[in-house]
This record gives sequence, C-alpha cells and structure tokens, in this order.
Amino acid sequence: MKKSIHSLTPDRRTILKGAAAVGALQIASPFVIPVWAADAVKIGIANPLTGTYAATGKNEQIGMQLAAEQINAKGGILGRKVELLFEDSTSGDAGTAVQKTRKLIERDRVNFLVGNVNSALAQAMAQVSNEKGVLHIVPGGHTDPITGKDCKWNVFRVCNTTRMEANAVSTLLFKTYGKKWHFITPDYAFGHTLYQGCEANLKKLGGTVTGNELTPLGITDFSAYLIKARAANPDVLVVLVQGNDMVNCLKQISQFGIDKQIHIAGTQQELEAVEAMPPEARVGVWMFEWYWKQAASQPGLDQFIAEIRKKSGGKVPTARTWFGYVTIHSYALACAKAKSIEAKTVAKALSDMELPPEVKLQPNKVFFRGGDHQLMLSAFIGQLNSKGDGDPENLFKVNSVVAGESIAPSIADTGCKMQMPA
Amino acid sequence: MTSGRMRQGAILAAIWAALIFAPYWMPLFGGYTALGTRVLAIGLGAMSVNFLLGFTGVLSFGHAAWFGLGAYGAGLCLKWIAASTPLGLLAGTLLGGIAGGLLGALLVRRRGIYFAMVTIAFGQVFYYIAFQWSSLTGGDDGLRGFARQPLHLGFATINILNDATAFYYFALLCFAIVVGIMGFILRSPFGHTMIAIRENERRARFLGIAVELHIWIAFTLSCFFMAFSGALYAMVNNFADPRMLHYSLSGDFVIMAVMGGMRTFWGPLLGAVVFVVLQDYISSITVNWMSFIGLMIVAIVLFFPRGLLGLLRQRKAA
Repeated sequence: MKKSIHSLTPDRRTILKGAAAVGALQIASPFVIPVWAADAVKIGIANPLTGTYAATGKNEQIGMQLAAEQINAKGGILGRKVELLFEDSTSGDAGTAVQKTRKLIERDRVNFLVGNVNSALAQAMAQVSNEKGVLHIVPGGHTDPITGKDCKWNVFRVCNTTRMEANAVSTLLFKTYGKKWHFITPDYAFGHTLYQGCEANLKKLGGTVTGNELTPLGITDFSAYLIKARAANPDVLVVLVQGNDMVNCLKQISQFGIDKQIHIAGTQQELEAVEAMPPEARVGVWMFEWYWKQAASQPGLDQFIAEIRKKSGGKVPTARTWFGYVTIHSYALACAKAKSIEAKTVAKALSDMELPPEVKLQPNKVFFRGGDHQLMLSAFIGQLNSKGDGDPENLFKVNSVVAGESIAPSIADTGCKMQMPA
Repeated sequence: MTSGRMRQGAILAAIWAALIFAPYWMPLFGGYTALGTRVLAIGLGAMSVNFLLGFTGVLSFGHAAWFGLGAYGAGLCLKWIAASTPLGLLAGTLLGGIAGGLLGALLVRRRGIYFAMVTIAFGQVFYYIAFQWSSLTGGDDGLRGFARQPLHLGFATINILNDATAFYYFALLCFAIVVGIMGFILRSPFGHTMIAIRENERRARFLGIAVELHIWIAFTLSCFFMAFSGALYAMVNNFADPRMLHYSLSGDFVIMAVMGGMRTFWGPLLGAVVFVVLQDYISSITVNWMSFIGLMIVAIVLFFPRGLLGLLRQRKAA
C-alpha cells in the first residue's frame, strides 16, 4: 500500500519517514525471530496467569517447568527436547482461552496441549483440541462432563472430578456437622456440577438444602449472599467458590462472625487460598487434592519439595504444583511407552497408565482410568490448621488419605462413552 | 482530481491485493491464516461501528451487544436448527439487527453522552441475559457444541471447517459483500444525508431532513452489519460467550475505529489489524499486553487525532 503511494507522489518527507519506519521495523519487529527449533517437542499451555485463579495457574506453571527440566536433564522425550509455551488464558474469559488455544495449535503447532484451571475454559479448550486432534491434558478444571458425558478420546484430566470431591467429604460433613446445608456456589460449570454432586449426596443421606447462592466468578463482595445464608439458619455453610473468591468469602465470613454461629466447610480447598487468608479465616473441614506434609514417607517427595522451594521463593508445593508436575511427566511417560508423539498412539498409552512413585508422590495407586481418561488420585481429607501447630507452613491437618478409585463414580455413572478414533 | 482518483484507485487495489494474498504473505511475518480471518471479522465490526460513529456522528458504546447477539444467533442456529453456515450467518444477522433496530427506535431521541449511556445500558441488558440464561446460552461457560459447516454449492463442496485457507476466502467474500454494501450506502443520497447530519444536525433539520428517522435507519443498518460480523466471528472460533456482548468489547471496537481513523472508510480496518495483531503477539510475551495498546492509543489520540489513516491522508492533502 505504502509503495503505491510513493510511486504516485514522491515526496521527500514521506520517503524519509518510510525509511525510518522500515529501519524501526528491523529492530522492533518481533516477527523476524525464528520459531523454535524444529526438533523440540512443544507443549502449549493456556492457563490463568491473571485474575482470581492466577495463584493456582502460576503454581501449575512452576510444577510444569520443574517436570520439563527433569525430563530434559534425562534426554527429553524420545531424545527430543521438551519446550513449554505458556499463554495467559485469563481466569474466566472462555473466548480468550479458545483464541489462545487456536493460536498455540495453528501458529505454534504444539504437539500437546495443557489447560485449564477454570472448568468452563477447560471445556471450551477441549472442544478446540478435539476439533484439531491434539492430545490435551486438563490439569485443574474439575467439572464432571470433561471426563463424563463430554469425554473425548484426546482429553485426559489430572485433577479430581467435582463428583469425586463431593463424594470425598459429604458423609464426613454430614456426620460431623449436621443435615441442613447452605451453599455458596460459583456460577459456572465447576460450581454447577459440584453443587449437583453435593446435593445428590446430601439427599441420599437424608439431609436438606436451605439454599444455594450462585455468585459470579471474580466478585469481591459476598455480604449479600452471607446475610441470606445466615438468615436461612443452616447447620453448615458449604463454600464451593475457589481462588481469590474463596479468600474473600472466608475473610468476610470471619469478619461477620458467621463461623461462630454456623459450621463452615466445603469440598475442595487449596493451599494458595489458605496462605492468603488471615489465620482467623482458616476454619472448617475440607479436602485437599494433594498435600505436601504426609504421614508416611514417599519416595521422591522430599526432593520434590526441595526443588519446588528453589523455584517458588521458598514456598512449599501445593496441589496445583503437583498437577503441573504430573501433567508434563504424564506426557513424557506416555510418549516413552508409545515410542511416538503421535496423538492417537500416545492417547492409547496414557489410558490405564499407572504413575510411578517418584511422580505420584502419595500412598495409593494413581492411574489414568481408561474408560473416562480420569486420573484416579487420592483425596486428602482433614481440617484447616489456623496457626500451623508449630509449623507455620503446615496449614492443614490430614485425617485420612482416600484412594481415588473408592470415591470415583463408576464409568457408567460418569456418562462417558469413550470412542477412540480408528 | 484525476490524480486524486488514481491514487484512490491504487490504494483500493493495494488494500484488496493485501487481503487477497494474506494467507501467502502473512506467514513470512509470523502470522497465520486464522489470525487473518479473525482480523476480517473484527475489522468488519469496527467498520460497522464507524458507519455510525464516523459517518453519522453518533457514538454507540453498546455495539458489542449486536455483535454478541449475532454470534449467539449463528451458534444457536447451527446447534439446534440447521447445520448450515449461510443459514447461521443469516440467523445471527437477523437476531442482532432486528434487536438493534427495535431498541434503536427508543434511542434516537438522545444525543451525545446520553445516547452513549443508553446504548451501554441496553447492551448490558443483553449481556446479563446471555450470562443468566444458562440453559440456552451456556451462561458464563459459553456456547459450545456447534461448528461452521462445509459449504455445499451443488456442483462442489468447499470444506471451510477444516481448511483454514478456504475459510479465510469465505470470510473475505463475506467481508467484501458487506463492505460493498456499506460503501454503496455511503455514496448514495442517503449516505450524504448521514454526513450532513454529522456535520450540522440543526442545519439538516432546517433543510427538512427527518433527522431522527435517518439516524434510526443508520443505526439499524449498523446493527445489521455488526451482527453479521459477530456471526462470522462465532464461526472463526466455533464458540460464543457472554463477554462478546459486554460493553468493554464495545469500547475495543470504538478504540479500533478511533485508532485507525474514524472519518475514513478503511481506517477502522487498519485499527483492527493493529489491535488484533498486537494483542495476538504481545499477549504471548506478557500478561500486561493491554498496557502497550493503551500507550499506543494515548500516543495516537495526542499526536494523530485523525487516526493512523487520517494521518496519511492529511499529510497528502497538505
């Protein structure tokens, strides 16, 4: 376009400016940087780095980076270097996650895909990865359909399903606290299926729901919902929100003194959220999906904690760090088993693959269930430690570690009909 | 005069040549075909906003609502009614255009900041409907489970679903048709009336022009164009979500129009190219990509108030 203008009305200023622009382009143009070495195995990650799930997304990133370093130190995947490409998917904007997924697949031509912490974004990404036939591991989006009725041959999941979380704690909550439950639920895929799971379990146990407050993702003021919940006078207030929303909600619960009147509990709790809370807000019975301080010693656990401390400014690993670590190691292990990086072959190798001790870092058998591609990981059930009991980093007291298989619904109940492509 | 017309012709030819050969030259600069398709859909949206802003002088801050309605119309049609790409585009265009036209009738009595505020309010109404009506729209999770369909032309089938280049040319054809209609309207007596209203509304009224009616027609047309671009965008991603209706996206469209040059026909397309490409590239490097776009807007508004294309024109005229 510019050229045609020049040829028609040559003008010294324009030419000078054009020359300056071309010169600037040579220095500034980001596009002339050569793409990655062709022989690397590229893993594209679209995960939250901003917003309410930023802390969890960043910890998954640290876990992934550690795994990639370990794999590369041992010769990479089938002799090829592992390269991680991170994109910020935002915490709640599914459109951006779809766009980033398409960019990773179409521009960067990644071999494998990872994402997302947010269930809704994970579902949206899974549709794209399936359309493009790219193997995809969901490291931290819990909603049931991902490995349930929407399960896909190319999609695997590392974290629990919402139903597994509900099953892990429902009976305990019911026995410990009582039968009238009130819910605070994030208004998107994750919250919807987690609530359904808890409600179904509660009904089975003979309890009642006094109300369910649906809160938009990323809100900071829970007061209206909390006042309603208190007025309903339940035995337990079940908090299902996550990320910064969890921090804000529990802070406000303790400010209003609701925890003195009603038991506070929930299903999934995360160390990222607990660390960000004031001590008085650390209350209730919860489950962690992985916890660093374990009763029995596990091979490789101490080394994992030490390595993560080095990468995270001295902090202990969280379930999210572990998810990221497991995700990348799973790809490497499956590729080694399949002797290929072709999506369908690796998908077959991942099905029913058991994680070795130095990756699973927990007592029970941990494996990807072939029928729904869901990882069977243990649930760490216990109580928040408000002050840490002498160890300020130990903010959770694990009462029991339950094997994933015992809390997971059967494959028929998940609604998944897995169809591998021919 | 003739040299001016020749120059205009040359510029037009250059724009179309750049667009037609985009799948071939973009990869040389690190681009990819799907990015080009996205630029076309978003650029068409920015040109639709500018149809109203630049040529009628009315600022709508809620145009994303019609964009999003177009997207949902296309998605829902593909998902539930018929798996046909042209029908999806039509359904989206009608949904967004008719909704915009109906509400436009209520809007045209307001001017300036009041008009802009009411458009935000109406836009947010649709945003919250899309957010809350989970059973139909998928709520905050977005609408999944639809995909653009291959085109059946009777004698041949074009696979625009899996062939990115074929889809780019399909989008370019759609873009060309809509831009052609836009250009035709602007050259017609009606288009000149729009510009007369922009330049001096009171004088236009004294000349006997039904100002409200003309603004309403311009608004409605702009909504139809916007909804069409939204429907096209839904097919780029095979996805729609409530944020496509949010006023912050309306703001992005206005930014593209202002950045590119809102008194020019092609300016908003240039603005969209800059906006989308910068976002695509910088967001891979830093999560603070918006700061760079923000700095750029500040620079453009301060130093080139007529936008990037306006700057080129102005210098030529001087």
